[in-house]
Amino acid sequence: MLLLKNAKIYPITGHVIENGQMLIDDNGKIKAIGTQIKTPAGANELDLAGKTVLPGLVDIHSHVGIWGDGEGPTGYDGNEKPAPVNPKISALDAANPWQRSFAGAREGGITTLQILPGSGNPIGGLAFACKTVGTIIDDMVIKNPTGLKGALGENPKKNHGQNLKHAPSTRMGTASMIKGYFEQVKRYLDKQEKAAAAGQAFYKDLQYEPGAMVLKKEIPFRVHAHRHDDIVTAVRLCEELGVNYTIEHCTDGHLIADFLAEHQVTACVGPGLSPSSKVETANFTDANPAILHRAGVKVCLMTDHPFLNCRHFIVYGAISSKYGISVNDTLKMMTLNPAEELGIADRVGSLEVGKDADFIILNGHPFSYKTAIEATYIEGKKVWELPVI
Amino acid sequence: MLAVINARLETVANGVIEKGTMLVKDGKIVELGANVQVPEGAKIIDAFSRTVTPGIIEAHCHAGINEKGVGWEGRDSNESTSPITPWCNARDGINMLAADFDEFREAGITTAGVLPGSANLLGGIAVAVKTKKTTIVDEAMIAEIGMKSAFGENPKKNYGGKNKSPSTRMGNAAVMREALSKAKQYLQRKENGENPKFDKNSEALIPVIEQKIPLLIHCHRADDIVTAARICQEYDLKYVLEHVTEGHLLVDFILKHDIDSAVGPTMQYGSKVENKDRDFRTPILFARHGAKFCFTTDHGVVAGRHLRTTAGIAVSKGMCPEVAFKAITLNAARHIGLEDSVGSLEVGKDADFVVWSGDPLAFTTFADITVVEGKVVYEREVL
Repeated sequence: MLLLKNAKIYPITGHVIENGQMLIDDNGKIKAIGTQIKTPAGANELDLAGKTVLPGLVDIHSHVGIWGDGEGPTGYDGNEKPAPVNPKISALDAANPWQRSFAGAREGGITTLQILPGSGNPIGGLAFACKTVGTIIDDMVIKNPTGLKGALGENPKKNHGQNLKHAPSTRMGTASMIKGYFEQVKRYLDKQEKAAAAGQAFYKDLQYEPGAMVLKKEIPFRVHAHRHDDIVTAVRLCEELGVNYTIEHCTDGHLIADFLAEHQVTACVGPGLSPSSKVETANFTDANPAILHRAGVKVCLMTDHPFLNCRHFIVYGAISSKYGISVNDTLKMMTLNPAEELGIADRVGSLEVGKDADFIILNGHPFSYKTAIEATYIEGKKVWELPVI
Repeated sequence: MLAVINARLETVANGVIEKGTMLVKDGKIVELGANVQVPEGAKIIDAFSRTVTPGIIEAHCHAGINEKGVGWEGRDSNESTSPITPWCNARDGINMLAADFDEFREAGITTAGVLPGSANLLGGIAVAVKTKKTTIVDEAMIAEIGMKSAFGENPKKNYGGKNKSPSTRMGNAAVMREALSKAKQYLQRKENGENPKFDKNSEALIPVIEQKIPLLIHCHRADDIVTAARICQEYDLKYVLEHVTEGHLLVDFILKHDIDSAVGPTMQYGSKVENKDRDFRTPILFARHGAKFCFTTDHGVVAGRHLRTTAGIAVSKGMCPEVAFKAITLNAARHIGLEDSVGSLEVGKDADFVVWSGDPLAFTTFADITVVEGKVVYEREVL
């Protein structure tokens, strides 16, 4: 058992607790949280002398472990080519727990990640959620799969049309391939149903199983869309299909915030602090999360690591808050909102009794430039500590 | 005459003046202090107690030459048809109407060193521009700040990949030496009155050989840093280093050679093998040991508006705030050879300054007013 004392605790689900305490049991779960916890016999005490405790951050869109970090091309495993419709691939099969970006995530206070395939394909494969410490990826998984990746806009048409000289080569082509795929999935499900009704054998097809999960609303379709028209296309496609979905990136969301609120879209916004390297990100603004939030859109922040270095996730929160989001609401976009969106809020995303004891200790206000993350804990164990330079 | 009143003047050079006044005439600072009379008829900027600092300086960026949000059409920083292109000049590739400059003005950046890219061993002349609102680059440009050079991965990848030389780090150094030797001899022949046949490479390298401009050398890895210093010593060249990711491994060497480094883009991940060790160790150790350095975002790689964010993160990792702020103003000015005209609030310097909504290093602070040479180039709309 571990008892944190004298901490300024941000539970996210409620008010900040001054002089707070948190008791962690031997299974790495939060056993109690408050100000008057009696120290159980044999518990270790950690006096934090007024330091800040936040839940471990949840990065809803990341390529940690599959994109290479200081490795060059040998570490690039994000986009399986040349097939533009490639639902059967899974990010889980590429994620390397030894890659330095996992350590970077821990340094950045991130304890939970959703790792997705890249956006080179209209249908890009399966995503999963994991903790950021461990040596065997399967032991780190919280949930798998957590979604099917889709992509609109520049990347698929560039990867395929421009580089590989096959379809899709336009935005129209990309949309039609996605529609075409789900049409085939519908037929596949139809066959399955008929076979079941007739008591006949049915053989699973890996190409269609992920799409079937999306159509049956077992997992959402997570659609990469930066430009406003790509976002609108994604909403149209997903509403026609009647599936659960998120808009990933949502860079131009600030131009169509009311539309997104009306359609009850969940926007996973980022990579933050972008230099707008592509045409589709030309309208990028650091104010996007605030504008969407004010319009009533549910926002999750993402690093899209490596595109925003996951070590600086909390700075993305700080910069976003300055456009008019409260500290707690901003932190929610990097903790509870993504946990809920991933369907893992029973375990992570806030500091509440019964949840995993994933938390970070900071030596000041979460959004101050004078503050450093001093330590990151996962399930009650310290997994990173600020090194002395 | 322009008067900035009720300002907390962070001069960077000479401490802080509380409740200060600063007078500007013909684009220059003519007076500043706590007891300065405001001349009648002066145009007033009332800072309402806000902090005023010198404009931020991005010493190494690709603003306007790798235009943001434009894609291929806007990428003009690497003339990657030959590893030796000293005859290129960034001035000829900069679009002053690029969105990068709007971003810079909004972020309080008033001077930018715009460099050719790092695909070539010798990439061309780098220039400093003010972030004036002008369409004409020549009106914004204030100096040629050096000759861009690059060692390490980029040149060998770019040319080795095309089955040309250089394809190794050895090749990088050899092809570089060949060009420098040729230029040195070319200059000697000229001085001896031999009238050598015109050679555009050598001609462009004369100011480098004559030590009129420094080489600005891209190097990340420790051995590339050492190679750069070795070659510059061999040819007796002035030089400064760009990126210097593994500088933390050889702080003594940097001090011994009195090397001035533009460190960054420090917020970026390890995008290549040569920068795999990227973190804040290099700038923090440089600051602690007194090595000359400034920060850079390499704008285009990290957004220039987050140069200030970079300095803020450095503080969170242990750098003192004054040093961090100097590393994006006066030290950056020194890196590009302009410390006599920009980088601090001092009499005689250009009136490039920013009125901030709060602590200039805080992540939640806005640039409220940006002024270049006495002219307001940006003012934040407050709702």
